[in-house]
Amino acid sequence: MIRATSLSYTYPVGTRPALRDITLSIGAGELVLITGPTAAGKTTLCYALAGILQHEFGGTFSGYLALRGRPVTEYAGVGELNRYVSMVFDDADSQLIFTSVEEELASGLETRIDSKQEIEKRIFDVMELCGITHLRERPPYALSGGQKQRVAIAAALAMDTDIIILDEPTSELDVAATSRIIEILKSLKEQGKTIIIVDHSLEGYRNVADRVIVMEEGHISREGTFDELFPEQQGSMKALYTDPDLTPYTPTDRPAIVRIDSLMKRYGTIEALNGISVTLYEGEFVAILGENGSGKTTLVKHLNGLLRPDGGLVHVRTLDATTAPVIDLVQQTGLVFQNPDTMLFADSVREEILFGLENIGASSPDQVIEEVLSMVGLSGLESTYPRHLSRGERQRLAVACILAMKPEIIILDEPTTGLDELESDRMMELMLTLQKKGHTIIMVTHNMRIAEEYAGRIIAMENGRIIGDYHNLKGRAS
Amino acid sequence: MSEILQYIPGNSPLHTINPVTKLLLVILIVGLCVMSSQIPFLCFLIGVLIFGALFSGLIREIISQIPFLLLLSFFLVVLTSLTVQEGALLLPILPSTDPSIQGFGITMGGLMFGIILSLRFIVMITAFQLFVITTKPSDLVTGLLAFRLPVDYVLMLLIALRFIPSLQLEARRIHEAQLCRGYNPGTGISGKIRSMKPIMIPLVANSLAKTQVLGLTLDMRGYRARKKLPFHKLVFGPGDMISAILILIILGAFLYLHFFMA
Repeated sequence: MIRATSLSYTYPVGTRPALRDITLSIGAGELVLITGPTAAGKTTLCYALAGILQHEFGGTFSGYLALRGRPVTEYAGVGELNRYVSMVFDDADSQLIFTSVEEELASGLETRIDSKQEIEKRIFDVMELCGITHLRERPPYALSGGQKQRVAIAAALAMDTDIIILDEPTSELDVAATSRIIEILKSLKEQGKTIIIVDHSLEGYRNVADRVIVMEEGHISREGTFDELFPEQQGSMKALYTDPDLTPYTPTDRPAIVRIDSLMKRYGTIEALNGISVTLYEGEFVAILGENGSGKTTLVKHLNGLLRPDGGLVHVRTLDATTAPVIDLVQQTGLVFQNPDTMLFADSVREEILFGLENIGASSPDQVIEEVLSMVGLSGLESTYPRHLSRGERQRLAVACILAMKPEIIILDEPTTGLDELESDRMMELMLTLQKKGHTIIMVTHNMRIAEEYAGRIIAMENGRIIGDYHNLKGRAS
Repeated sequence: MSEILQYIPGNSPLHTINPVTKLLLVILIVGLCVMSSQIPFLCFLIGVLIFGALFSGLIREIISQIPFLLLLSFFLVVLTSLTVQEGALLLPILPSTDPSIQGFGITMGGLMFGIILSLRFIVMITAFQLFVITTKPSDLVTGLLAFRLPVDYVLMLLIALRFIPSLQLEARRIHEAQLCRGYNPGTGISGKIRSMKPIMIPLVANSLAKTQVLGLTLDMRGYRARKKLPFHKLVFGPGDMISAILILIILGAFLYLHFFMA
């Protein structure tokens, strides 16, 4: 189906090749998993296989690439290639162009199928397969992350191409949503489709992927069956809080730093938080685990006044977090958001950190900036434009911006989204260091692996309630 | 969260009117309100719109706009009162030393002009709002295509409408992220403008970052050489007959008030 021989590629603005000497052959009906650290060239390879690089991006090519026995360059652009290849990009939101799920699926079909009945049947079948029939009339903004991703996949499937390429479709999804997507891929494989998928979390593909390709610095570093490459279990796919190794939490004798009592929060008619009571102690490293929509982020936003409760008490040190001004609360509780790009706006790393310092009127800012940059490992990058940093570096810069304001409590919302294992571990090491310095760390995540490996205390949430509170003796912070 | 300018699903009379008819109605109403400077006629148009909203159970959407419309009207009246010096002086601000010329102040002409301008804006905004919230975006597109607008432009409008709620959400997220860094929204007009930077820059940069995937998706679905969009045929029904009668009534009122009364 796909054959590449010594394929190399350099982006028009790039200096180093993004793909180096790629030779691979993918047969019809194969499901191939591509993995590797960030910036290893996985997305570039997807673009190459979809013909996007050759026909849309330009740049320098060498080697040979053929789809269905015909060189990619011989196809008349993406307009012809899209009859054989469809692609799901990593950002689900920007792939949904139309204003309802049904139209989204219909959008690619009109040039392919003439009969209206057939179009309707195809849409119906694809919606059934992806489990989105009930979302038929919904506009994109009323969909959750997992639903958006399934709609994006459905829109690609509706085109009924032989080859389907998916670039990190599960990066922002929890365990349940991820396994639903893997189920869809399984049934596509049974239909004989050729599937190429890029992903970081691997274990779900055991017994599903026919082959795994590991990429590093633009070339294929390892290739084989799943069991050959990863004989041991890769992270956990089951819910951690059903793990018998965890022991129920008992309070320590350290002073309490956050006290929450019967906290309630409603969004319209939905009970986002339904009677949360919990006390966190100085110097703890807490992971708050739960599926998407369980109320984790809503909970931590109450700790610095971004949200005010509909009922209950929240105390941070001596401050009443239900009424205290945000500007006072943020100096106690620093919250780092999931995506660093929601905050980076300045022209240099230095100015970016200075912004927070000036807002709170901190003294000797230059010394503080130097300090926090060395702490997060970004020394020497003071004058760099923040958006030119890599995703991992931007995430660490976001932490530095918050750290500079010297909050006692540091809250991280999904700190490992979009980071590979190396960068995730680096971020966690940084948190361990900060914990040793006396900070209290609260981490909201659906990543079981990092919670299990690092946190000292694990709080599990479901439907706006706390369903478990444990000591994690295996965690390096305990 | 209240979504700006988003379709509200429903089965009201306004929903069932054909988008082409509705678009004609909106064009007519907006066109006439710009041409007319008679307060009774403008009030009549507002009445028609309120009646339409009441009839379709959407009056709450219109009411929610009132604070904004009042604020807009206030600024317009202040602006015109201070700039248009015409007619009798109602409230002198700078008295004239020369009896042959009138002093500077709020004049009848300025006040009236401000009121007319406000009424026009109220008509235009309300008409457009009612149109957008009762028209499924795909029907809107079909309507626009029926007026022979090029597919590219229609697609642009559709995508713009689609991304308004996403941008709202993103702006809120950015605002919260900056609050966590002690961001102060600023006081006074210059402070407000200066404090836009930490919000606007991430918003624009993140939106631009999305365009590549959006463009590629359109390409992969084969929109590059597309002449048609995948939307439904239009059906005319009883609602359209009523609209046709309504169009005649509005035109009649316009002609009567402007030509026979004058």
